[in-house]
Amino acid sequence: MDVQQAAEDFRRRSLSNMGPLDRLIYLASMRDYNTGLYYHDGLASRFSAEVACEALSDCHREAFRELLGCSLEELVAQMEAYMASTHTSPADFLTAWRGLEPYRVAVPVESDPLAAQFLFSSFKIALAILESHLNPRPAELSA
Amino acid sequence: MIQLISFLLIGALLLVSLYFFARRGQRAEGGSGALVEARQALNTLRGGLLPAELVGRIFARNDLEYVESQASKEIRDLFLEERTKVALFWVSRVRKQVLSLRRFHLGSARFYARLNLRTEMALAMDFAAILLACRALQVFLYIRGPYAAPRIVGSTAASAARVCKISEESLAFLTPAYAGQVVDRTTRSARS
Repeated sequence: MDVQQAAEDFRRRSLSNMGPLDRLIYLASMRDYNTGLYYHDGLASRFSAEVACEALSDCHREAFRELLGCSLEELVAQMEAYMASTHTSPADFLTAWRGLEPYRVAVPVESDPLAAQFLFSSFKIALAILESHLNPRPAELSA
Repeated sequence: MIQLISFLLIGALLLVSLYFFARRGQRAEGGSGALVEARQALNTLRGGLLPAELVGRIFARNDLEYVESQASKEIRDLFLEERTKVALFWVSRVRKQVLSLRRFHLGSARFYARLNLRTEMALAMDFAAILLACRALQVFLYIRGPYAAPRIVGSTAASAARVCKISEESLAFLTPAYAGQVVDRTTRSARS
């Protein structure tokens, strides 16, 4: 019950204005790479560290599921919005994302391999589409 | 001489029977492993491979239409290549988990679940149909890409869901609710 309350509290205070991609990345950033545990001081002080960890884990899984349900077009739109929100140049952003593939460490630990594989694959296609928007080929320009 | 040969034959027969009894004993010992494997296969199928939303997303045509509207052949090729990979991964995992459930039904299920002959026959047909469909689907996906056989995808998922339902019933005795019923029955019979 506490976990549900904590998750609801966190959704209301921190996640309400974010799309699934922003939430996925934001929540993944709260996870310790070495332990897989989630930390958030504010939430832990209102509930407890364990409850906060469970609640954040629930929110992370939820964001992952929502992102899986998005069409490719929606994913591209979300990536475009995320890219704009980082204030990085689109070219640098795309180079970094293609090289580092940061989305690979953004999925919840216990995700099914097929779902994770599907999402990684969609990110790869979305990046190619974004790149084509950035550097339209002559044929596309004339079209 | 004839007596010696008869004794040797009887001895050999006894040895062979002993070998088969020993093998049966080993299988019974490894029963818990088979149960765990079957339960994991069932969870993977139900939670990871058969949810309609995920299958629908992998084979979604609207993604292809969107990609085609981007007017770039490279992106279309990349999209088809990526979706084919994911689709093949899906088929191979469904096949692997179904094989695992079939192993459970062939080897251990009869010790735990009392399925009637009709259910067993239906199950055998479903297993055969799924495994055949998976092979056919793999060939179609390799040759013609992810949108080649939507009907086979649908029928494979439906048959796998049926197999899961029957397997769930065969494994029902592992669930806490069932264990509770058994305890209740034991307590009642002890009181009476």
